[in-house]
Amino acid sequence: MQEYLVELQGVSKSFPGVQALDHVQLNLQAGEVLALLGENGAGKSTLMKILSGIYPKDEGVTRVYGNAVENMTPQKARELGIAIIHQELNMCQHLTVAENIFLGREIVRGGRLARREMNAAAGEVLRHLNIDIDPETIVGDLQLSKQQMVEIAKALSTNAKVLIMDEPTSALTAKEINDLFTIIRKLRAEGHGIIYISHRLEELQYIADRVTILRDGQYITTMNYRDTSLREIISYMVGREIKEKFPRVDCEPGDVIFEVKNLNAGRLVRDINLSVRQGEIVGIAGLMGAGRTETTRAIFGVDPKVSGEIWLRGQHVNIRRPEDSIRAGIVLVPEDRKRDGLCVKLSIKDNIALPNLDILCNRLTVVNRRKKGTMTDQTVHDLRIKLPNADVDAASLSGGNQQKVVVGKWLARHSKMVLFDEPTRGIDVAAKVEIYNLMNELKRQGIGVLFVSSEMPEILGISDRIVVMCDGRITGELPIGEATQEKIMDLATRFESKINHATA
Amino acid sequence: MQSSQKRNPLKRILTVRGAGQVITVTIGLIVLCAVFALLNPNFTSQRNLNNLMRQIAPFLIVGIAQSYVLITGNIDLSIGSVLGMSCMISATLMTRGMDPWLASAITLISCLAVGILNGVLVINCKLPPFIATLGTMTIARGIAQIVNNNMNTDAIGDGAMAFRDFFYYGKFLGIYSTVYIAIVLWLVFNFILSKTRTGSHIYAVGSNLEAAKLSGVNISKVVIKAYMVSAFCSGVAGLITCATGGLGTMDAGLSYELYAVAASVIGGVSTLGGQGILLGTIVGASVWGVMQNGLSLAGAPVALRNIIIGVIVVISVLADVIVRSGKRPRRIRDAVAEAVAAKQ
Ligand SMILES: Nc1ncnc2c1ncn2[C@@H]1O[C@H](COP(=O)(O)OP(=O)(O)OP(=O)(O)O)[C@@H](O)[C@H]1O
Ligand SMILES: [Mg+2]
Repeated sequence: MQEYLVELQGVSKSFPGVQALDHVQLNLQAGEVLALLGENGAGKSTLMKILSGIYPKDEGVTRVYGNAVENMTPQKARELGIAIIHQELNMCQHLTVAENIFLGREIVRGGRLARREMNAAAGEVLRHLNIDIDPETIVGDLQLSKQQMVEIAKALSTNAKVLIMDEPTSALTAKEINDLFTIIRKLRAEGHGIIYISHRLEELQYIADRVTILRDGQYITTMNYRDTSLREIISYMVGREIKEKFPRVDCEPGDVIFEVKNLNAGRLVRDINLSVRQGEIVGIAGLMGAGRTETTRAIFGVDPKVSGEIWLRGQHVNIRRPEDSIRAGIVLVPEDRKRDGLCVKLSIKDNIALPNLDILCNRLTVVNRRKKGTMTDQTVHDLRIKLPNADVDAASLSGGNQQKVVVGKWLARHSKMVLFDEPTRGIDVAAKVEIYNLMNELKRQGIGVLFVSSEMPEILGISDRIVVMCDGRITGELPIGEATQEKIMDLATRFESKINHATA
Repeated sequence: MQSSQKRNPLKRILTVRGAGQVITVTIGLIVLCAVFALLNPNFTSQRNLNNLMRQIAPFLIVGIAQSYVLITGNIDLSIGSVLGMSCMISATLMTRGMDPWLASAITLISCLAVGILNGVLVINCKLPPFIATLGTMTIARGIAQIVNNNMNTDAIGDGAMAFRDFFYYGKFLGIYSTVYIAIVLWLVFNFILSKTRTGSHIYAVGSNLEAAKLSGVNISKVVIKAYMVSAFCSGVAGLITCATGGLGTMDAGLSYELYAVAASVIGGVSTLGGQGILLGTIVGASVWGVMQNGLSLAGAPVALRNIIIGVIVVISVLADVIVRSGKRPRRIRDAVAEAVAAKQ
């Protein structure tokens, strides 16, 4: 009989209106990486929050090192050596890196905080992880990916035996992901147990030993990663075969409907020229920090433009603020849903209605409740958003379903041009296909689609034409027939200094 | 990473939560003093400086109170009423012949009870702090009125001379005792805020409640403690008011919660939580006291004084917003863009 670090049996949990978990089981051995997989809303995060004492469970047994634990709390979990890295960043923005790492377990000597000691210890942990951050930096001043690394360092610094990582890589750069995998493999060799949640299934080959799959709050199966295939994993997750991961619709490309001419807006948006034809999807590829997000923001009018023109269906549109853009029929589905995309304290219905109030109101600006309800129902149905009802807070949806609401609120109005910034981040395979289908549907209706993505397979699978950016400039354009991963990477790394060097 | 241990100490101080504003406001304070000194030479007289310090002391004490609560991301509107309640309870007990020190102790304990109530309402009952403390503000004022049957008290009498000297009239090395009380309170609470675990948790709770909770911080305890500090300081300020007048007045401390917000905010404490240091509160309270004192010496009419002080408060907060938006332009702009998109 194998000794387990952690064993969960028959765990159930319900929230008002949803059975999030229904008699789920899971176990974790020392020295293994267990991938916990499932669609958005399958209950992965909820299960992990129960294990780490954040939510109480309705029924079931938690066993840690073979002993049953009742009434788990975050403190108790920490004492037992269970650490969790949350799906959504949970940092105190005003505190330093060291203060965040030691939050809740500060070192105190004679009633006083031992700041120097904590800074040194935090520096030690960061160095150990190969992360180059000064422990006295204020966390709010760090980039998102660095903050994520601090979050990881915080969990590791507790010397936890059991480490839970809930989508740790969704905000990291390729190099940081590599570093993280090195760390994970090292920890596994040292005998730690790791539960790893991710929607990027291609990551599993580098680290996973076993997989446990949930669907709709139910336990489906557990398998050795070696003995299975991605195809099989996906079919268990979704409950059916997904035939095409990247559905493609062919349309005859028509006239140019959207044009960006000589757009300049700061260092990361330099002399951008772009066009989108009727019936085509244009993908923008590039590395993190290449200026792709900044370009979409400048087009939409969030950031001020220094110079440049936007043309829509042969007409010059003057966009100085987002409202100009929306009025003209150009909308942006932003990248960071929590910050830019959702009002988490409003209901789903209100969120969807928010940018569409002009359509929903009568002349006296009174909102038509019936129209609002119909619009919400339509959106929820079209995007297959999973929710108890449309009056719950946006915050209570699972991460992927939140993303669908962000996309959905813009699709509910009949726009002429849609810009997507990383539309599938944190979304499960099946929902990704739904978003792709939506983009294809827009394309079929003659609506222009421009989308930014960091996932190579997605860019190659969905776009009709790929524009590559590097360091704030467009370094090349590839029709889909000619595009390959290598060509894109080559264009994405054409930094100016490199070019100068080559021509010299 | 080694370099962090040897980093430029001045730069290190500047990265501390909102210390930047403390420096700018200190410069402003010096300019302000210079202007008043030019307008009226009496401003720098030994006598006036002494009075000025005694005037600043209560602002500093309620400023400390409000700063603690603001840093946790909440607000305490009951400060002025607790001050009034403390003044009335202590005076009533003393006029009925109780020993002044015992009366003070009982008074402070009843103030702490209001503080606990505030904390529990906010963190355990999840009431918005504005509403919860608006309620306790009214209740505490009511208690101040009811303890002596809706009348101000008589003079607390000769038996309380030592009490009055301790809190207000006494002098040591030429400086009034009120000033010492404020300094001692500041030293203690500054130590707690900057050097202890509790202080660290107060910042964490104000910065990100959820993160603090998930890290195993007992958030209810932290918020309740902050409200207790606030009520305790307000209580002490009430005793000082009682000692000053030698009697209990029912409307003592009216609007002091707002003066306390002003002292904190001018000194760089963020009303959104997580940011600010008590050094700033000293500067903020001083600006407030210097304005009052200087403008009256300069002969400005009361109404004009109010307008000028109000303008100063708005400007100092605006300056902070502008400085910060320069540092992280995207966030502010995002917020604006969101608001605009929302209006559409
Ligand atoms: N605090 C909450 N209040 C109400 N319902 C909730 C809450 N947290 C989660 N749920 C619901 O429980 C279900 C499971 O959510 P959970 O976040 O565990 O999914 P997940 O598997 O982590 O999904 P994702 O991959 O999108 O992160 C969802 O239907 C969600 O709406
Ligand atoms: Mg999740």
